[in-house]
Amino acid sequence: MAETPLYVGIDLGTTNSAAAVFDGERVSVVRNAQGATVTPSVVRIDKQGRVTVGTRARRFLEQDPSNTAGEFKRLMGTDKALEFPAAGIKKKPEELSAEVLKALRQDITDQLGVPIERAVISVPALFELPQSAATSEAARLAGFSRVELLQEPIASALAAGWRAEDDAKGTWLVFDLGGGTFDASLLETRDGLLRVVGHDGDNFLGGRDFDWAITEHLASLLPVVPSRSNVHHTGALRALRLAAEDAKIELSRGERAQVALAQPLVIDDQEVEVDLELTRATVERLCAPLVDRALDVCVRLLTSNGLGPGRLARIVLVGGPTVMPFVRQRVAARLEAPLAEGHDPMTLVAQGAALYAATAGLDGRAAQQAPTTGRQVWLQYPAVSSDLTPHVVGKFVGAEPPAKVKLVRADGGWSSPEAPVAEDGTFLTTVTLLPRRACTFQIEATTGNGTRVEVSPPALTIVQGLTIGDPPLSRTLGVALANGHVQVYLERGAPLPARRTFTHHTVETVAKGSKESVLRIPIVQGEMTAAHLCRLVGTLDIGGDAVKDTVPTGSPVEVTIELDRGGRLSARALVPSIEQVFEHVAHLLVPDAAPEALDSALRDLRRQLMELRTDAFRHGLTQVIEKLDRIEARLSEAERDIDAAHGGDADAAQRARRALLDVDATMAEADLARKWPELDAAARQAAITASSTVGFHGTDAERTLLQDVLAAMDKARKDKDAPELERQMRLAHRLSSAAFNRTPEAWEWYFEEAASEMSKARDLPRAQKLVKEGKAAALRGDTEELRRVVKALWQLLPDDSEARKRGFDSGVR
Amino acid sequence: MLKLAENPFYVLGLAPDASRIEIEREAQKLLGMLELGFEAARTYATPLGPRPRTPEAVRAAVAQLRDPYQRLLAELWARHAPASLDTAPAEEPAPPSDLRRALGWRP
Repeated sequence: MAETPLYVGIDLGTTNSAAAVFDGERVSVVRNAQGATVTPSVVRIDKQGRVTVGTRARRFLEQDPSNTAGEFKRLMGTDKALEFPAAGIKKKPEELSAEVLKALRQDITDQLGVPIERAVISVPALFELPQSAATSEAARLAGFSRVELLQEPIASALAAGWRAEDDAKGTWLVFDLGGGTFDASLLETRDGLLRVVGHDGDNFLGGRDFDWAITEHLASLLPVVPSRSNVHHTGALRALRLAAEDAKIELSRGERAQVALAQPLVIDDQEVEVDLELTRATVERLCAPLVDRALDVCVRLLTSNGLGPGRLARIVLVGGPTVMPFVRQRVAARLEAPLAEGHDPMTLVAQGAALYAATAGLDGRAAQQAPTTGRQVWLQYPAVSSDLTPHVVGKFVGAEPPAKVKLVRADGGWSSPEAPVAEDGTFLTTVTLLPRRACTFQIEATTGNGTRVEVSPPALTIVQGLTIGDPPLSRTLGVALANGHVQVYLERGAPLPARRTFTHHTVETVAKGSKESVLRIPIVQGEMTAAHLCRLVGTLDIGGDAVKDTVPTGSPVEVTIELDRGGRLSARALVPSIEQVFEHVAHLLVPDAAPEALDSALRDLRRQLMELRTDAFRHGLTQVIEKLDRIEARLSEAERDIDAAHGGDADAAQRARRALLDVDATMAEADLARKWPELDAAARQAAITASSTVGFHGTDAERTLLQDVLAAMDKARKDKDAPELERQMRLAHRLSSAAFNRTPEAWEWYFEEAASEMSKARDLPRAQKLVKEGKAAALRGDTEELRRVVKALWQLLPDDSEARKRGFDSGVR
Repeated sequence: MLKLAENPFYVLGLAPDASRIEIEREAQKLLGMLELGFEAARTYATPLGPRPRTPEAVRAAVAQLRDPYQRLLAELWARHAPASLDTAPAEEPAPPSDLRRALGWRP
């Protein structure tokens, strides 16, 4: 592989997709067969089963809507298959996304002249785990052998920062208004390292809402007004919406646009001629509230990071709607910061993804069978480095390695001193890079007597430029336990990739050969300690039909949870007693959004809202009331979407489902806020207890740390931030547990507690025996033995079934 | 991040006044050495004796030091670390028993 690597990035968008390639020095956007840099994410399948993608397919959205699909990205992770009646086939959202990826892959191959197998694909920052999994699956179906997922705001920031040279210092904001979602990210660059400071967004706000606002306005001007909740009006509305989209684009330049349809619409069996005029002022009036909603999110993000308006170094605009002049003006004016110029808002994400592929060392070209001539050497070095003098680490394969290694830069301007190779073949050296360039280094190896040895690979390439820190985990991840609590594996903010292992114990027997007996390990995401307030994102099942042997109650299970850089989840459970590993995580689909189910969920939430509101008024909790008002507004929006869902709009149904989930979580928070006095009291108690135990039994380090936790608790109490207070209480509790466990009488106390519940034990004779042994051990002062007894006893004591239900039927403790 | 032995400066084998670039450079080197199985990279020294070094620990250490607030904490800690913890802590009176119950002590 003598040529330099090629790094490929793909922006798989809701309405449009794009691809870019980075060769180590320049990023170029890939053009499709029509010569355009963006390809509409639209797929059409005709009656011969032929697939058309992109601009040509988009033309059929109006003419042949039933055989043409768009916006399927919003359905990713659901099992909703889309029908193509002409060909008589059904396609899942990931299969349709795969068609778009296939088309892009072909365009890239055409442009580069080499087949592409690896790429970075961007996903929205708020994508749930099943949606990410579906994206990976789409890539696999499109023929990619390996992909990494990258959050869209990080991609845009990387692309904008890469070009920014030296003036990139300070904090800046990426304002990404896409087709269906809005993301705001706060970033900071220092010393060539990009760091994500904070992120916020609105999963339900995008260019589509602009289009609908305009469409509804146009519809209201017609003599017969079509309605979104009427299935028979779908066709008319679709035609109107496409016309609205075109008019909107036209108005980015002109002052007024004509909305005229060649054929009259048929609404309720009446022919309706459409010939309307739309002015820029009208569009701005219709869309301004939507832009303001996005800006509210930005202000919230800035405030939570202690930044006032005017403190931003710059704003990077991303996404189609940000092309509209009035959007640009409104954003700059409200946030009082300059807009970064010279970026293409339509392809910035793809460019960033390509740059990231370099950082991740993901060469896009198909793996070539490198002719192995010479001594093989394994190398470790950063493919992209912000540091001008990074290390290169290597190891020669096989016995009797060369004695010395030297790296020579291809431009001839620099070479490393000779580095000695250790007996095991390892060596370590540094190289000097040229700023903002891709540098190739020849590897020169010599034996003890000075003979040159050929090396494979003969050279390595490092790009100097902006690099990005490991992306942080956006929500805490853990395992729900049988007692309804969560064992946290990875805290929010943990750098990805990450991996953590904990040992649990089973709470019921898994009988060999029995299909009914399944031990469930639920994986949940969220900031709450109570499992039912977190979201279930996957389960790991240990089934009776899969185990080699019966696994008795109380058997240890070592669970490992792993997340890759793109937030892709994998989990593994090792059952040591039968030496068997279970790794199939059942990825939950994003739940079904049947309109009837949505109706009942909505009713339920409205009822809860009423109760909370009455209660909040009674106690005069203004903060809670404000929160509930926002929930009310969201519910009304969801109601409109559910209406549209009844009209057959699957996408609106998904939107509504997610809005309801969101409301549910916000409601839980509001509920927590309502219980504030209770929580506050518990926090005080926790602080006193922790201070006392850690003060008496803690190490210096624990004391220092407790100070920190207490300060954070204080802050959370001042901010009335219930989830944060819960989190800090958890830390305080853990600290005092650690200190308390160190005392000799800790286990005596645990023993007495466990022994007092002996009558509830699953295996009474065994429990009685253990208690007897424990008493003897306590008399002897044998702490080790006592600890063993207590742990064995705990395993015999039951968790109550209510708690278990709240813990998603978890089979482990 | 509760444990002294996991102080990011110990994990990376750097002094608390290391610059940002030095931290990144050292981490990248250690990750490479671990990947290739360098014996020297497998453990790191702490006041509590040597500890095994893993790629996850290195990445977590860098992430911690990138955050200015967490870095400050780690610096304080690394500086105030006791030279040795071999000497057993002196016997101290137990806390009043009702405190233990206050939070439900069973872990």
